[in-house]
Amino acid sequence: MRFVLRSLKLRHFRCFEAFETEFSDGLNCIVGPNARGKTSVLEAACILLRLQSPRVSKLAPVVQHERQGFVVDGYFGQRHLQFYFSRNRKKLALDEVAQADAHEYLQVGRVVYFSNTDIELVRGSGEVRRRFLDFVAVQRDGLYRNALRAYDRALRSRNLLLKGYPVRWREVAAFEEPLLAAGRLVSEVRARLVAELQPEADAAHRVISGSREELRVEYRAGAGEDFAQALDAARGEDARLRQTTVGPHRDELAFFLNGQSTEYASEGQQRTVVLALKLGAMRLLERHFGRTPLLLLDDVFGELDVARRNALLAVLPSGAQKLVTTTHLDWMASGLEAHRIPLG
Amino acid sequence: MKRADYPTALRTVIGELKRLPGIGPRSAERIALWLVQSRDARADAVARAISEVTTQVHPCERCGFFSTEPLCDICADPSRDPSVLCVVEQPTDVLPLERTGGFRGRYHTLGGRISPLDHVGPDDLRIGSLIERTREEKFSEVILALGADVEGEATANYLAEILNAMHVTVTRLAQGLPAGAGLDHADELTIQRALSGRTRIAPHSL
Repeated sequence: MRFVLRSLKLRHFRCFEAFETEFSDGLNCIVGPNARGKTSVLEAACILLRLQSPRVSKLAPVVQHERQGFVVDGYFGQRHLQFYFSRNRKKLALDEVAQADAHEYLQVGRVVYFSNTDIELVRGSGEVRRRFLDFVAVQRDGLYRNALRAYDRALRSRNLLLKGYPVRWREVAAFEEPLLAAGRLVSEVRARLVAELQPEADAAHRVISGSREELRVEYRAGAGEDFAQALDAARGEDARLRQTTVGPHRDELAFFLNGQSTEYASEGQQRTVVLALKLGAMRLLERHFGRTPLLLLDDVFGELDVARRNALLAVLPSGAQKLVTTTHLDWMASGLEAHRIPLG
Repeated sequence: MKRADYPTALRTVIGELKRLPGIGPRSAERIALWLVQSRDARADAVARAISEVTTQVHPCERCGFFSTEPLCDICADPSRDPSVLCVVEQPTDVLPLERTGGFRGRYHTLGGRISPLDHVGPDDLRIGSLIERTREEKFSEVILALGADVEGEATANYLAEILNAMHVTVTRLAQGLPAGAGLDHADELTIQRALSGRTRIAPHSL
């Protein structure tokens, strides 16, 4: 049995009361007019495999209006994945066995999500770039999730304490050791991931741009060289601003084409760079696990002319399973075989 | 026509049972009907046991563990080592430690841990009485047996700072690999802690 997403069932998910569909091994096109839930189907596939949405950081807005919770259910290869989410509780099952934690569940399938808003990776805030890094890092190393969560909890606790009147410094200090321990790991994992991503993204960039420009990805630690020292030095500033001003939550990624920051690159160049980053992430996961992740392509063809659409499809590994949303199919090169999933 | 339902008395019992943790409306109904219908039910005995437990069991006034006397069995036991104190988050954490049979000292339960995100601060916990006990009972060692998550760690750090200033030896439970598991199943945070808490294998112990 191939490791592909074979079926997907939704209940009370976004605009869907109930929906189910099957997928083929290769190219799947979800076709239909706007506002029929094409993107929601991709989002559901992503949530089923990764328990997080590529569109929003919290899952509550995914629940259909006036419903308690949603269900996503599907088969990936032989594995049966089920996830129920409501504001009060989450339930996970793998092959009909309830899972106390998500670790084994998240080992089943991996995903790279391409979206027409990917250009935010270059133009948007650092938050967008950190989310991208973490989305890949958790897939590469499942246990990274623990460090990320511990860091988030320690950081939010410390920030809340810094907002107290008067600030109780002994309590603030008590949260610093867990903050430092988790924070150091988060920085390490992210730095390592960027080092692995760099050559893959550069190689992908050369292929899709056909240019000789070198793409460089740089990781800038928000914790500086030494997190403990940085935290110590920032204590006055933290007290004044009533929040933690240094740490991995301030990490940044910078991209350079032949040494020039992509901030000032043309839109076309920026789009090529973000595409190269996603393809790089795909290669990285492929190399690490010996199989291509599921590729979700949300409306990425909208801005491209017909020649470029087909060129993009051509750079994606032909053997990989792809779910693509599009408003119509007329443009697709005639030789391509696609499983068509009509909506609306 | 008025729709029939169970008599009020029965509905009251169902309503009360439903409030218990882990009991939903269906189970509440089943239990209530069983109490009324079954010959083995001994509803009186159940009612008496419940009412007695709530009047008799209260936290030990010294350590906070469950007790029916002013002092719990552990605090009242003269054969316990009075020089070692083990600090835990909840009274229910005492029993797993007791079952190991490896600890002969006494306990102190905090009633929770410092958790700003849940609006729990040091003043909400039994930290004042811990400090008082440490001063009066002159322990040679205080063991912090708190959770290994962010809040547990922070609470341990907070207490360690205070207790160290009182010149008592403060230790915490070793953290690391679960017994019987390999390195490949542990996350980096766990391995990192296991590494920093590593112990020496002395030649004579082999």
